Amino acid sequence: MLRDRRLRLAAAWAATLLVLGPLAWLWQDSLLPHSYSVLDMGYADDGGAAPAGHASHGGVGGHSRSVANLVADPNHRADVTVTLTARKERFRLASGREVDGYTLNAQSPGPLIEVTAGQLVQVHLINESVPDGVTLHWHGVDVPNAADGVAGVTQDAVGPGREFVYRFVADQPGTFWYHSHQVSHQQVIRGLLGPLVVRPAAANRDMAEVVALTHLYNGVRTINGQEADLRVEAESGKRVRIRVINTDNGPVSIWVTGAAGTLVALDGTELQGPTPFHDKTVLVTAGARADLEIVMPINGAPVRVQVGGALSVVLGSRSFGAPVATRPAATLDLLGYGTMAPIGFDPDVPDRRFEYVIGRRIAFLDGRPGMYWTVNGHLFPNVPMLMVADRDVVRMTITNESGEVHPMHLHGHHAVVLSRNGVAVSGTPWWVDSLNVDDGESYEIAFVADNPGIWANHCHNLSHAVEGLIIHLMYEGITTPYAMGTKTGNNPE
Amino acid sequence: MRTVYKVLAYIVAAEVVVQAMLIVYAIAGLSKWVSNGGVFDKAVMEDRQIIFPEIIGLPLHGLNGGIIIPVIALALLICSFFAKVPGGVMWAALVLALAIVQVQLGYMGHDLTVAGALHGLNAMALFVTALHAARRSRVAAAATAEAAQPAASSV
Repeated sequence: MLRDRRLRLAAAWAATLLVLGPLAWLWQDSLLPHSYSVLDMGYADDGGAAPAGHASHGGVGGHSRSVANLVADPNHRADVTVTLTARKERFRLASGREVDGYTLNAQSPGPLIEVTAGQLVQVHLINESVPDGVTLHWHGVDVPNAADGVAGVTQDAVGPGREFVYRFVADQPGTFWYHSHQVSHQQVIRGLLGPLVVRPAAANRDMAEVVALTHLYNGVRTINGQEADLRVEAESGKRVRIRVINTDNGPVSIWVTGAAGTLVALDGTELQGPTPFHDKTVLVTAGARADLEIVMPINGAPVRVQVGGALSVVLGSRSFGAPVATRPAATLDLLGYGTMAPIGFDPDVPDRRFEYVIGRRIAFLDGRPGMYWTVNGHLFPNVPMLMVADRDVVRMTITNESGEVHPMHLHGHHAVVLSRNGVAVSGTPWWVDSLNVDDGESYEIAFVADNPGIWANHCHNLSHAVEGLIIHLMYEGITTPYAMGTKTGNNPE
Repeated sequence: MRTVYKVLAYIVAAEVVVQAMLIVYAIAGLSKWVSNGGVFDKAVMEDRQIIFPEIIGLPLHGLNGGIIIPVIALALLICSFFAKVPGGVMWAALVLALAIVQVQLGYMGHDLTVAGALHGLNAMALFVTALHAARRSRVAAAATAEAAQPAASSV
């Protein structure tokens, strides 16, 4: 009887161990070190090319270069200098609403930085009072790696009372934005961001221009910090360019009523042969920018451009009473929009081919259970490190099997879309830095690796990046002296 | 241990009820918000802010269903190894399996909406199974009491 009882108890304990043992092992295996380098993350994926020498990713032979040395020409004097002072504070939006968050030069969104293509921009960042530290990432601008602003990868977070200087040549005209890349899922959502416009050297003076940076503060939609429609004077017959910047974590839809819209640029790149469209929604994914052109009707009627449904940019001269319309069901498809044109390289003979398959599963991440994103079946930080060499032509397939949309953002490069779900692009070259990859979709993209460094390639739903949806593109022979983790003060996501 | 088994199983059943209440609370709030002219799109959704009070039901539903219920179900399974409930291990294992399937169906429903319907059905299955498991412990208690009766009288 007693022996029976003991046996039963032993069996119960054995069963308990059998259940809890694997869980405990998975839990401890997921814990992140207090300090770790991006160089030690995951495994090298050479994209089908022969790995350079026998080196693990990072140093090749004796001549490795630090990301800190990948800078704009130090002998070139700055054409434009800007000082941005970051603060954590309770501030008032342009609309009057008070928000607990972050400001740049006492405002959020931060000041509009306007430069001319080809100018060397020098930005002096001062952290006055952000306890976690700050950085600035120039979203969509292919800056030198040292100016990319990713805490723990390209620089250390700038602590309170400290400063940092960003230098880059803004060589591509277009619409961009800047934001913190330190604890970014909190700092961006709470206001540490601003617009950046690079104008072409020969600007069209006949055209009116509007920057419409949209952001949700505490869930309330704003355009340039205003909670009311943005009214812009525009005479009949006048051409107006509206630069929409989506700084949120989810895609925003825009649609035009009262005139045709023409999508003239996307992610800071002009589209070829764009045609006017009616009754269509333009989807601007998280982090993306869309430039719309409107020709004002001859009869002087106002035009409404709705941004996310709640707010609009209203163009008009005599009146601004354009009616509010429901969202058109059809979305403008970039796959066949505009006219084909050369892209400047041959993506059919790539040096590297990468797969970027996004999944989701129940797991632990740094000891916390949850549903986490996976890359090629692996969980952060055991994700692939995409290895390239300078001048490589890179082809990448991004496949989303995760059940949710992901706005995928590649730092330091613009990639061209080749196909979606096997259907090739039949219109304008479609260059992106932020690509909306819906669940069940598969995009083939290509780019030339022409900007050495270590570049984040992540989901710009910044909460998803925290949940593990971030990998890096690394050039052979590049190293970084910076580290991430709780001990380092660097927490890029 | 048998009491612990019973209590844990009842808690799982009660938690299923809480889950149903939370999600309907959130949807009712959403309906009211939209009726009053509010906009709820993907960008607002991903902003994860409390734009109307009832929306708190969504993250609570996710936290409660994604973490807390599976942990209670796991505790129930471990408890079942020690509690002498007839078929207790099987019923506890079934509760845990249904709880995990429920999480998967919940997330699948974000894209495959029919999975959302099955999520509702599976909730009923989990509720009934947890209740049944809780009642098994009573049967077990009665059986032991009966077994103890003659032993006591023989003394």
